[in-house]
Amino acid sequence: MNHLKRKEVAFFGKITAGITHEIKNVLAIIQESSGLMEDILDITENGTFPHKDKFIKSLNRIHGQIQRGIDITSRLNRFAHSPDHCPARLDLNEITEQMVLLASRFARLKNVVLESSPSDPPLIIKSDPVSLEMALFESIEILLNIIGSGGKITLAPRKIQNKCVLGIGYEKAVLTEEHFMAKISSTDRWASLQEIMAYLGGTAKVFGLAPEILLYLPESISD
Amino acid sequence: MDRMKILLVDDEHEFVTTLAERLELRNMNVSIAMDGEAALGLVENDPPQIVVLDVMMPGLSGLEVLEKIKAIDSKIQVILLTGHGATKDGIRGMQLGAFDYLIKPIDIDELIEKLNEAAKSMA
Repeated sequence: MNHLKRKEVAFFGKITAGITHEIKNVLAIIQESSGLMEDILDITENGTFPHKDKFIKSLNRIHGQIQRGIDITSRLNRFAHSPDHCPARLDLNEITEQMVLLASRFARLKNVVLESSPSDPPLIIKSDPVSLEMALFESIEILLNIIGSGGKITLAPRKIQNKCVLGIGYEKAVLTEEHFMAKISSTDRWASLQEIMAYLGGTAKVFGLAPEILLYLPESISD
Repeated sequence: MDRMKILLVDDEHEFVTTLAERLELRNMNVSIAMDGEAALGLVENDPPQIVVLDVMMPGLSGLEVLEKIKAIDSKIQVILLTGHGATKDGIRGMQLGAFDYLIKPIDIDELIEKLNEAAKSMA
């Protein structure tokens, strides 16, 4: 990534991280205000508060949505901090888990479930976090464009022949390996994935009847 | 039993006043400050047992305020409030003498548990 691009990414990250803090402050105020209502209800004598059960139900719904908001902003905050250090030591289990959370909405629009299958022991590499997240996202998008609707995509870091690999695989066979390659190889997304992987010092391949994109990664981006 | 004396420090007015009301409902004696300078004034003139202190504030940062509180009275316990992704501030704060840190938005039960632990540690 060139110097200006890196600065642009850092700029977006910084602004986004700042805004997530602001949103969290809003959520904190809503949380405390609804909590205070709950406290007051708790000390209100039975029978003196009309429709108390409906009020409690509504407060519980607010609490649920606050938690949802906190989860979403936490993910966004973490993502926004991705450009802070580059290269960085990255746990591939953590980065796949993060991407499952961030990309699940895109998968859900096609009724596809995204999940991660962590490696044991965890695989740690030194790499560019933003580019690696982009490579994972591009791989997910390539699969989503090919597979139609439904099913499950699994992100699985593992070692293959002593190399660190991130597998992005679909559970069902949709096309033969050749047809799959023929369908994706001319697309902009595949070209983009190849470009990112070249920058990361790795390669992207397709394997299997149930298509799996394999991202081969060096243990250190400078290798 | 004496009421626990707490000072809440946060620049988000709605947050700090609502949290104060919730703690008062639990029989705590709560005062509030919206910035570090005001907090230090209260620590000097009407010292609390425990300070709940936001790390990210305009003017003096929470960590700077923590250092000054400890210089005024090392016995006052401080619980820091940090944002998600800022746990390093919490850890740095504990190195500077904070009792513990919580990530905002906080859970009231967790805060009360920490306040009780901090009060117990002073006994």
